[in-house]
Amino acid sequence: MERAGKASVTHRLYGLLEQIAPPLVSVVIALAISSLIIWVVGYDPVRAFSALFDGAFGGPRQIGETMLRSTPLIFTGLAVAYGFRAGLFNIGAEGQLFMGGLVAAWLGVALAGLPTMVIVPIILVAGAAAGMAWAFIPALLKARVGAHEVITTMMFTFIARYIVSWLVTGPLKAPGQIPQTVQLPAESMLPKFTDILPELGTGRAHLGFVVGIALAVVVWWVLKHTTLGYEARAVGFNPWASETGGISVSLTTVKSLCLSGALAATAGVTEVIGLHGRLFDQFSAGFGFTGIAVALLARNNPLAVIMTAMLFGALSAGSGTMQLQADVPSKVVFIIQGLVVFLVAAQQLAVWLLRPFKARGGVENA
Amino acid sequence: MLSDILSPDVFAAAMRIATPLALAAIGGTICERAGVVNIALEGMMLFGAFVGVIAVTYAGNPWVGVFAAAAAGASLALMHAFASVTLKTDQVVSGTAINILAGGLTGFFMEVIIGHPGTTDPVPRLVPVFDFPVPSAGFFAPMWRWIDVIFLSHTPIVYGTILFAIVAHWALFHTRWGLRLRALGEHPRAADTVGISVVRGRYSAVLFSGVLAGLAGANLTLEQVGSFTEGMTNGRGFIALAANIFGRWTPGGSYGAALLFGFAEALQTKLQLLRDVITIPSQFFLMLPYVLTVVVLAGVVGRAVAPAAVGKPYEKG
Repeated sequence: MERAGKASVTHRLYGLLEQIAPPLVSVVIALAISSLIIWVVGYDPVRAFSALFDGAFGGPRQIGETMLRSTPLIFTGLAVAYGFRAGLFNIGAEGQLFMGGLVAAWLGVALAGLPTMVIVPIILVAGAAAGMAWAFIPALLKARVGAHEVITTMMFTFIARYIVSWLVTGPLKAPGQIPQTVQLPAESMLPKFTDILPELGTGRAHLGFVVGIALAVVVWWVLKHTTLGYEARAVGFNPWASETGGISVSLTTVKSLCLSGALAATAGVTEVIGLHGRLFDQFSAGFGFTGIAVALLARNNPLAVIMTAMLFGALSAGSGTMQLQADVPSKVVFIIQGLVVFLVAAQQLAVWLLRPFKARGGVENA
Repeated sequence: MLSDILSPDVFAAAMRIATPLALAAIGGTICERAGVVNIALEGMMLFGAFVGVIAVTYAGNPWVGVFAAAAAGASLALMHAFASVTLKTDQVVSGTAINILAGGLTGFFMEVIIGHPGTTDPVPRLVPVFDFPVPSAGFFAPMWRWIDVIFLSHTPIVYGTILFAIVAHWALFHTRWGLRLRALGEHPRAADTVGISVVRGRYSAVLFSGVLAGLAGANLTLEQVGSFTEGMTNGRGFIALAANIFGRWTPGGSYGAALLFGFAEALQTKLQLLRDVITIPSQFFLMLPYVLTVVVLAGVVGRAVAPAAVGKPYEKG
């Protein structure tokens, strides 16, 4: 009995290693290639990345900044991961995020006067509902006529941006020159960690981070232990078999994309009620798109999303310091992101590179 | 008022705006006909637009920029072909990676080369091909002016695209090359059986679509705007994919669909000029092309049939 137990522990450890090794290697290669690019254009990659590391983990304030930047990425990462699990590519998480932010900025003012304990949950739920609604039409089009969600959700992202741009320059514009909504009252805001324990010194990091981790656990549980999650996974794995097995593929598609939209919208909500306190055109730094990298690197595992969101959050937090101290444009982070997505997707690359050696060994000729 | 809106310059603008969409859409057509989905048209267009401007900054001649833009599009396409054909990667994910990468590369090298983010300095543009003297008086003068504005006022890539759409449409349905290309997307195994190399065929189709997307970028920066702005493609690659579907995976249809989008956009720009008469916020006009794309997809997709093997890696066996 004991030996069997031990064997299964090693087995599980090996399985875990097998799971995390490819993404880890992808990140290392992506960092190596971007170092090369940084070096070729004449900067010092060692200085650049040590500045980046410093900016991300150098002290409590920096760690707080990493948590702050990770927060929206946990939500968008979960959104994209949930979609992928159901065989859907929610490339338009950014648009759903905008709708969440919009509802948060509106309700934060409209419900002013209620206590934080009441107002914040209402905003979170309403914002998620807005994201759900924004994903509904693309979901319906996918289920009914087969319009590819990559194009439709992308188009809805542009439409959402223009709606927000119109509202912040017109109907919802705060008095003054800058196109933005009015500042939310303090009771509509998610508390910062330092509001609760000032000694933490984590700067702008807020409780949205905790909400993100909680939601990751919820999504993991939904996928693993509920009918909803089972149906999503079944349809993502094999829609034809699922249909034969009695699962409605169209209904599952609609439910899954809407749920993905709700998760993405939460990122917009927490950016507004956790960080900015108001809505403006550029309130999202492409979090919806970075969410794709976060999800793929996590291999669509909701719990792993927390880790990969923190990785990209750290890159984002450190990139400012890198630009200041090593002069390297912070946009290099997007090169890293693109490379990571490419390398994670191209898992066959290693096999392909090792092919000549295998052939010589006679493995393939056998 | 209607004559204000439907003036000849609206039709001329429609043709100009349609050009990058059409080039990318035909690129998508060729790529998907060969069985490979190309979501990365957006990134290839953006990269081409940027590299084109940088090349002109150094070389001074806009034609150098056009070739550089085509090469830039092709270089990202090579990445996509390698991933989707050789490595059998998920084509949509590989395309997304290239889109993110193109955004990063252009933003990064913009700051490295130009020294600041945002927009580059203006570069010399390609000039209109024809320069006929327009008679100012006479019986035919007004009609001649219409023809001159609508058909004779354009830059080289605009004409090249029309010509190319016709040739590509004919070639796809009436040449051996076209038949082979279609076979790759409909039934690669059959193509393989009769000795057509699926790998080589798909590589060349993806590379070709990259060249076209790069030229679309060159049209944006070196013919229309004259400078590069970060993220300036603004979803055109995705609209082009929709135009390809609306055009039922044919080059001629893609051009027609692109022209429809171009006309909507031109009309939108024109209507914005009448903002004193029509008091609708400009954002609603700006979102029109995107709304139109969704409407078009909603209306047409069920009835249009994609190539059977599109998006599926080919396993030799």
